[in-house]
Amino acid sequence: MSNSQMGATPSQTIGPFFKFGTEWIAEEEIAAAGQLGTITLLGAVYDGAGNPVPDAMLEIWQADENGHFPPDTSESWVGFARRLTDSNGGYKIHTVKPGPVLAASGEVQAPHIFMVVFTRGLLKPVFTRVYFSDESDANANDPLLNAVEDLQARSTLLASVESQSTYRFDVRLQDSSRGPETQFFSFDN
Amino acid sequence: MAGGTILAKPHLEEDPPYRYPAYQSTALRGPNKTPLILRPGSTELHAPVFGSSRIRPNDDDLTAQHAGEPLGEKIVISGRLLDSNGRPIPNQLVEIWQANSSGRYAHLVDDHAAPLDPNFTGGGRTITDKEGRYRFTTIKPAAYPWGNHPNAWRPAHVHFSLFGAVFTQRLITQMYFPGDPLIADDPIANSIRDKKVLARLISAFDWDLTIPGTALGYRWDIVLGGSNPTPEA
Ligand SMILES: [Fe+3]
Repeated sequence: MSNSQMGATPSQTIGPFFKFGTEWIAEEEIAAAGQLGTITLLGAVYDGAGNPVPDAMLEIWQADENGHFPPDTSESWVGFARRLTDSNGGYKIHTVKPGPVLAASGEVQAPHIFMVVFTRGLLKPVFTRVYFSDESDANANDPLLNAVEDLQARSTLLASVESQSTYRFDVRLQDSSRGPETQFFSFDN
Repeated sequence: MAGGTILAKPHLEEDPPYRYPAYQSTALRGPNKTPLILRPGSTELHAPVFGSSRIRPNDDDLTAQHAGEPLGEKIVISGRLLDSNGRPIPNQLVEIWQANSSGRYAHLVDDHAAPLDPNFTGGGRTITDKEGRYRFTTIKPAAYPWGNHPNAWRPAHVHFSLFGAVFTQRLITQMYFPGDPLIADDPIANSIRDKKVLARLISAFDWDLTIPGTALGYRWDIVLGGSNPTPEA
């Protein structure tokens, strides 16, 4: 089979009417609120007019505190969370700050969370990564952050410290009064 | 350092563009900048695993989720989840959602005047088996009008959400039905400009999947881009 490359199934928009199909796991947390080590990641999704996007589905995927993925984690570890944005485009997830993981090049990467956003008007999802603004040493040596040469675009990848253990990460689908378009990625599989 | 991270080759060129004027909602929501193409790191090369314990009875039978039978034409939709080398992707979550047999979604903001069906919600999920197979029993959804342009109608479709062996394979798409005349003028379907690629979204009628006297059958295989690599780190 190794030479028979099959054509990939292409993407289509999630549309506006996905709630009843996707909400069944949309309340689950990665870590319990208030527990030692738990952080809150919150923010909102904005469109090119600067308006909130109230009908987005946002998902995160990350390593545990030690930088491990299943099956090298505790059995209860999930590492995945899904949210349907509220009427203000907002989302909030309780999780932990992931440990360092390796880049394709073998270099150690700064703590980061992978994020994907689906919404009506997106024919394919946007992929980005959430880094932490209070990890400046690790961020300075992160190969992905350093690959983003435009410093303003790089800054869109940093979650700001909102308060103790709470980080804000907004997703801007385009430039607007809310700020510059978020740096999105696609990946060569 | 950056040289090993950034790649020149775009991922899945067959996917639709972010900006597609015929689909009006892309105007304010599709990013303007081309995404930076990266070699995935270990985060992207893993994916969540949803155990079958998450799936309840009748999650894969959308006709059995309420006290009575839903209205409409009962169908089976089945196929395999594969990687681009044709290898099955086992034990992964497949989610679907769809309109009812009148073209109405069980969703608060769907204001299409077609009737709701108290015996049909239209959401389902299952886990692929060892051969990557999935199977749903449902009813055939109807076309529905939308506000994109005058007299715009979506072809009948079922929304599918897929997880792969690596997170960059994450896919949400729509399955269409063979012979539907609305596909030719649908901006969402035609955002996929290569007709051979669009054809991958159209299911095939299959006698082998029918249940005599009860349900018609449609076969649809899903291929997630990427070669399903085993991550080293
Ligand atoms: Fe739809």
